[in-house]
Amino acid sequence: MAKKSTAQAPLTPAVLHILLALSTGERHGYGIMKQVEADSQGKAKMGPGTLYGSMARMMGAGLIRESDKRVDPEMDDERRIYYELTGAGRAALQAELQRYRSVVAVAKARFAKGSLAHGH
Amino acid sequence: MATNVAGRRYRMWYAMLLRLYPRPFREKFGEGMAQTFDDLCREHRDAKRRLFGLALWIFFETSVGIVRENSLHMSQLGKTMLRVALGSLALLMVPLVASRLVAGWNWNAGAFLFVYVLFFATGMAYAVIARKMDAWSYKAGVGLALVTGFALGWSNMVHVADSENPANLVYYGVLAVGVIGALLARLQARGLAYTLFAMAATLALIAGMLPSGAPPHLARNMAVGRAVFVALFTASGLMFRHASLAGLK
Repeated sequence: MAKKSTAQAPLTPAVLHILLALSTGERHGYGIMKQVEADSQGKAKMGPGTLYGSMARMMGAGLIRESDKRVDPEMDDERRIYYELTGAGRAALQAELQRYRSVVAVAKARFAKGSLAHGH
Repeated sequence: MATNVAGRRYRMWYAMLLRLYPRPFREKFGEGMAQTFDDLCREHRDAKRRLFGLALWIFFETSVGIVRENSLHMSQLGKTMLRVALGSLALLMVPLVASRLVAGWNWNAGAFLFVYVLFFATGMAYAVIARKMDAWSYKAGVGLALVTGFALGWSNMVHVADSENPANLVYYGVLAVGVIGALLARLQARGLAYTLFAMAATLALIAGMLPSGAPPHLARNMAVGRAVFVALFTASGLMFRHASLAGLK
C-alpha cells in the first residue's frame, strides 16, 4: 500500500514519466524507456540507472509492481520482467495530473489578465 | 562484425559495473538492467550507429545510480541497525524488570549483555533475511523460524544448565541443521521450506530417541514443549512453501 505522503506529494519528473508510460499497460524496462521517449517527443531520455532507481522507490511506495515474467515476441526469446501500475500508482498519477491542471488553470487566468492589462 | 565484438565487450563491462550496486538492488533489478542495456545496444546496432557514445552515456548514468543507491543503502542499514538496537533494548527490559521481581533471578551484567547481543543478532537476522522477498508468507516464515529457533536455543541452554546433562547439547544440532540448510538454500523460499521441515524432523527424532532424564511430570511438560517447537518449525516451513509457490505464479 502506498504511503499517504507519496500519493499527495508532487512527483519527480522521472516518476511521473514512468507512471505515464505504464498507464496504458504493463511494460518491461526497455519498453518503459521507449514509451517515456515517445511521450516526451524525445525530450526526456532516461538511462537504466535512473529508470531502475526510480522504479525501486516506486515499488517501495506501492505505486508499481512486477506483473509477470514472460517472453516479448518482438524482442527475442529471453524472459522479461514486466511492471504494472497499482491502484495507488494510478491514484498518484491522477492526483499529479490534477495538480498540473490546477497550475495551468491559474497560469491561464493570470496570463489572460496580463494580456488585457497590456492591451489597455 | 566489429560492432558485435564491441557490443559483447560493452555488455561484459556493464555486467561488471552492475556488481557495484548494493546486493538487494542488484538481485532485484540487475538482470533487467543488463537486459535493457542489451536492448539499447541492439537498437543502436540495427540503426547502424556506433555504440561508443551510447556506452559512455549509459556507463556514466549507471555510475551515478550506483553512488546514489549505495548511499541510500548505507543510510537504510544504519536506520535498521538503530531500530533493532532500540527494539533489543526494549526487549531487554523484560528480564531486567523480572530480575527485580522474581526471587533467585541473579543475572550479572555479562548475562544481560549476552542476552542483548542475542536479541540484536536475531533482530538483524530478521531484518536482513526478510527483505529477500516481498511475499508476506516469506517474512512471516523468517520471523517464526527465528523466534522458534531462539526459544529452542534458550530453553535448551536453561535445561542443560539445570540438568547438568551435556547430552542435551545435541538439541543444538537442530539449529545447526537450520543454519546449514539456510546457507545451502541461499535463503530461497523453496530451500528454506525443506530446511524447516528438516529441522522439525530432526527435533522430533532427537526428542523421541533421547531420554530427558527428568522426573515424569517434568518429562511430560518437556515433551509437550518440544511438540510445540516441532509444530512451529513445520508451520514456518509451510509458510516458506506458500511463498515459494506464490513466487512461481
